[in-house]
Amino acid sequence: MLSPERLALPDYEYLAQRHVLTYMEDAVCQLLENKEDISQYGIARFFTEYFNSVCQGTHILFREFSFIQATPHNRASFLRAFWRCFRTVGKNGDLLTMKEYHCLLQLLCPDFPLELTQKAARIVLMDDAMDCLMSFSDFLFAFQIQFYYSEFLDSVAAIYQDLLSGKNPNTVIVPTSSSGQHRQRPALGEASMLEGVEAALFYQRLESLCDRHKYSCPPPAFVKEVLSNVQRLTFYGFLVALSKHHGINQALGALPDKGDLMHDPAMDEELERLLAQVPGLVNPVTGSPEASSLPSRTTPRVGSPWRPLHHTRKMDAESDGSTEETDESET
Amino acid sequence: MAALPAPLPSAKMAAVEKRRPAMVPAASFPDGGRPAVSRAAATAESEEDFLRQVGVTDMLRAALLKVLEARPEEPIAFLAHYFENMGLRSPASGGAGEPPGQLLLQQQRLGRALWHLRLAHHSQRSAFNTNVGVAYECLSAGGRRKRPGLDGRTYSDLLRRICRDGEAPEEVVAPLLRRIQCRDHEAVPLAVFRAGMLTCFVLLEFVARAGALYRLLEDPGLAVADRRVGQAVLDTLEGALQAGDGAPARYLEAGSRLGPDSLAQALDRALGARRPSHPMTREEFLQKAAALFIAKVKPVG
Repeated sequence: MLSPERLALPDYEYLAQRHVLTYMEDAVCQLLENKEDISQYGIARFFTEYFNSVCQGTHILFREFSFIQATPHNRASFLRAFWRCFRTVGKNGDLLTMKEYHCLLQLLCPDFPLELTQKAARIVLMDDAMDCLMSFSDFLFAFQIQFYYSEFLDSVAAIYQDLLSGKNPNTVIVPTSSSGQHRQRPALGEASMLEGVEAALFYQRLESLCDRHKYSCPPPAFVKEVLSNVQRLTFYGFLVALSKHHGINQALGALPDKGDLMHDPAMDEELERLLAQVPGLVNPVTGSPEASSLPSRTTPRVGSPWRPLHHTRKMDAESDGSTEETDESET
Repeated sequence: MAALPAPLPSAKMAAVEKRRPAMVPAASFPDGGRPAVSRAAATAESEEDFLRQVGVTDMLRAALLKVLEARPEEPIAFLAHYFENMGLRSPASGGAGEPPGQLLLQQQRLGRALWHLRLAHHSQRSAFNTNVGVAYECLSAGGRRKRPGLDGRTYSDLLRRICRDGEAPEEVVAPLLRRIQCRDHEAVPLAVFRAGMLTCFVLLEFVARAGALYRLLEDPGLAVADRRVGQAVLDTLEGALQAGDGAPARYLEAGSRLGPDSLAQALDRALGARRPSHPMTREEFLQKAAALFIAKVKPVG
């Protein structure tokens, strides 16, 4: 009901903590770009709509990347918008490539950097075979971690590299139980066996990182949980574990649990209402939830508003998932 | 095109429309969405003038001051609400037409007063007091057929509205209203008004917390609480409230009586001493808890 610590903060810190000035500044920029709107509706109305859209999280749609990543709320809103807009991709069980997901992201944010999509895809694909197909939910949860905790992960990557190179002497010490089995192997084999870094050491470094990190980082308790389950792990192993962690997803608050990802009755209803208005598209079968939760191949595709996408998808399947640049959004 | 974002469903359709621009090579994007940026340096000064002339600067300054004064948990929602209210007040959005009737005017006054009252939580006493003062002025302003000053009827209306919006059951808050209401024709001085508002808001929070407490006691399957448990909690609360009268030192005593240890003891005793009887409903619990609070309120007049 009350969080008294906000009352004790100095004014400036309170405003900064909640990014009030960021939004006020942006509101003014938007106002200057839409001067004709204010002569029609008035300034108060303009600001009302602006701040309401910030509350609802629709303010990030079609905005520039620098704004989308400016605050944690913007990032969460973007993740939510991405999920809600392209949920049907997952529902139909379509698998897309990294480049295709990138195109979807660019529909919502035209200057979305490719590098970030690549990084997210690397989490799913464990850093190899970057042209593989990914399911919507795998990509979404990996993307969530990568996008929301971007700066944190950069620091984590640096720490990981540090441990990997600097602390190499440690990695030579092999636990006795496994050393017996593998003694005959060459040293190189042993090193590759011991992929990654020691989890406990890694956690120590991450703990202090979380303490002093000025950007958002995942709740330290969950990081600890992830790292205490294993002896050693690789960087991508760590990211995969983060992306699959329910607690982190919940704490972040942008997306539902993985099981509920395709479940959004209000949105389904809205979609159906819209589809009903399009002559020639109506297909009674799509309406029932049973039908829509089936694997894609049996679902009638006519009912989906993302028809162009499905066409490409079919072509893709024929060409055996190759990743020629598909212009699905041009049709 | 960075137009004001629309709510999601239509935005979704907009996403379809915007496919084409999205396919333009990325290189042309910096600034593509914001034509104003490139001109910014040259026009910064004129933009500042523009903002000052149309009143944006003053409006934002006032809004920011309100935010700092109230320190709301969610400042963005607060701002949305703030500007919405401002829009309702300005004649521009009222639409051309005949002047609003007396009843409508009265409703608007109440709405505005309520809005001011809710700007700051009552625990931030100085901000709350300022807002109570502004609300009082709103309500007591004279009009064409209204003499200045606040009458008992308007004051009672406002109290009822606050209680209704506070989502407390009517029978729970009714005894309070009987205690602090004024007669319809009486003039209400600021001190009475302030005390009434404060009491009302505190009671609503008290009831909300009592509701949360009840949820803890409640049997999840049956949606009722064991009477022995409910009564034991209420008795402990009553004991603490009686102890809390007077000197600050006694507040500490009251607090310790409500601490987990003594509460657990009371619950234990209650469960051991009596046999289970018919369960206690939420309404009954809230009503009894509220009665303890209301008994402490000094009646008006």
